[in-house]
Amino acid sequence: MRTDDAGEVDRYLVAQVVSKQDAGAFGELVRRHQSQVRNFLRKLTRDPELADDLAQDSFLHAWDKLHTYAGHGSFIGWLLKVAYTTFLQSKRRSNRYGEVLEALGHEQDVAASRVAALSDEVGDLDKFLAVLTEEERAVMILSYACGLSHREISDAAELPVGTVKSIIFRGKEKIRDSFDIESHQYG
Amino acid sequence: MISKVISMVERMKDDDRLALEALFRSEPIADDGFSARVVRRIRRRILLRRLALPLALVVGLLIAFKPALQLLSALFGLVSVLPADLIQFPADALPQLSTLIVGGAVIAMVLFFIPALED
Repeated sequence: MRTDDAGEVDRYLVAQVVSKQDAGAFGELVRRHQSQVRNFLRKLTRDPELADDLAQDSFLHAWDKLHTYAGHGSFIGWLLKVAYTTFLQSKRRSNRYGEVLEALGHEQDVAASRVAALSDEVGDLDKFLAVLTEEERAVMILSYACGLSHREISDAAELPVGTVKSIIFRGKEKIRDSFDIESHQYG
Repeated sequence: MISKVISMVERMKDDDRLALEALFRSEPIADDGFSARVVRRIRRRILLRRLALPLALVVGLLIAFKPALQLLSALFGLVSVLPADLIQFPADALPQLSTLIVGGAVIAMVLFFIPALED
């Protein structure tokens, strides 16, 4: 999927968008990568509707910042970085909203939203992901679901490559320990 | 012996990776109008940005119109109070027609190129 040809097409479309503000070319970029971006955000949020809203916002941010994509590394790596930043910003906003609700004495609403979040953790993958921290989850998804290299994950998550490697190692250990899985057997 | 151990470790690593990839794998999501919705929002955003400057100009003119009118009438009032020999000035001090045309052309060009610069 991520062949040199695909990379060339991406770079050509990016050049069209940056030089001509070509919304049609950007639409083609969205069509090519929406599935990966939405899958990434769905795994991260565990809420398909929220994930799709965030994916739309991510593509709008990508439109605004496309001139900052220097063409080094894969376009999908850059796009997932934008998506991850959008996710973190939304998370911060919703945390602030939770704090405001709590301050206003709406603990019940907050508790209900927490219960709803927990009840969503029903899928196999969700059970595995639930034992990971947010950062570990993002790195594991970028590595195993999106197929990014350690270098690309390092760029996307703004972490040193060594940290990415240790997070992946720690994530695998956590999954093994939490589900009492024999070494090298998952699912 | 060492090479066998290394290849075994490599194979275990590969198995590990394959197992995790299988766990994280998911079906591609159909577009179902998603990209069209994104493009629609982008086109709307482009349109709004293009309209922002002319709209700001119109609003600014509307806001400034009444005070400017009042200022002008005050100036005319002032002129009528001044002595006649003070107001009389040579006609060549007024801007010539050619100057006005060049000035107008420059303003038109600036107004035309500002949106292009913004893009």
